[in-house]
Amino acid sequence: MLSLLADTPALPLDEAGKYVAGAYLVFMVLLVVYVAIMATKLQRMERDLRELAGIAEKNGENTSEVASISDSSRPSEVAR
Amino acid sequence: MYGKGLRPLSIATVVALAASLALVFFYAPLDADQGFIQKIFYLHVPLAITSLVGFVIGGVFAILHLRSGERRWDAWSYVSIHMSVIFGVAVLITGSIWAKASWGHWWVWDEPTLVSFLIVFLMYATYYPFRYAIEDPERQGRYASAFAITAGAFVPLNFIAVRMAQSLVHPRVFATANGGLPGSMMFTFLVCLAATGLLWITLVKLELTAKSASGQLKRLRRALDAPAAGGGSRIAPEVS
Repeated sequence: MLSLLADTPALPLDEAGKYVAGAYLVFMVLLVVYVAIMATKLQRMERDLRELAGIAEKNGENTSEVASISDSSRPSEVAR
Repeated sequence: MYGKGLRPLSIATVVALAASLALVFFYAPLDADQGFIQKIFYLHVPLAITSLVGFVIGGVFAILHLRSGERRWDAWSYVSIHMSVIFGVAVLITGSIWAKASWGHWWVWDEPTLVSFLIVFLMYATYYPFRYAIEDPERQGRYASAFAITAGAFVPLNFIAVRMAQSLVHPRVFATANGGLPGSMMFTFLVCLAATGLLWITLVKLELTAKSASGQLKRLRRALDAPAAGGGSRIAPEVS
């Protein structure tokens, strides 16, 4: 790696280098901002999914409660 | 569905971007005329080409949408244009930086390449409010597709017009019979172009995967009859 660096053209960080660094930095910043936005979206989706899973579980419990009530009421109905 | 193959694609993109940066700064020789400033060319030009090709691809997806009526093509078209607009922002900023370093001005109004790209960019910037103005999703998709096709056809015309322009202020590195670039520079440029193209494809797929997951969440919410927490975008088409 060091020999490669030694063989390569120098990276002049003078007046021109400032502009080149600026251009590549703009590209990187745009990319990072985009990834950050996507990460925020993903977090929101994860939160929504957790919330929906909770609702689904609650609905499941209610359904099983209803089912057990109806099951227990059946013999009495038959007896009546 | 959209996330299929996203992982290897992301890895390939990261590798290609790393390779392109290494080639730009450690392999490609310094330009005899412009010196170190020319390194911006390896970023700016691939971004511009990818952005313009992305606009045309958005138009092709819009044709598929109008032909088939399938909303997924509208989503592909929307995301392609969206990503190309983001790339367009990068093109304008990096181009301005190069102009300042090379010409001493951030912007030159009598240069056809710059102005024509700005026109294309501003035209696509109107895509969002245009889409946003229509409430009905079906109509929104159809109108947006018609816009994408018309604007997509304008992009190659713009490219030809710029090529025909007489001004020689903007560098024409591919203008000569041999391409104008030495082998090492051309190789570096092609790797940069491939890396930028891969980045565009990866981000489009990522965006579509996120939209698809968001759409499925919305349907799940409707099925569970739960009130929406955040509320989705009215602009972006819902993806199944």
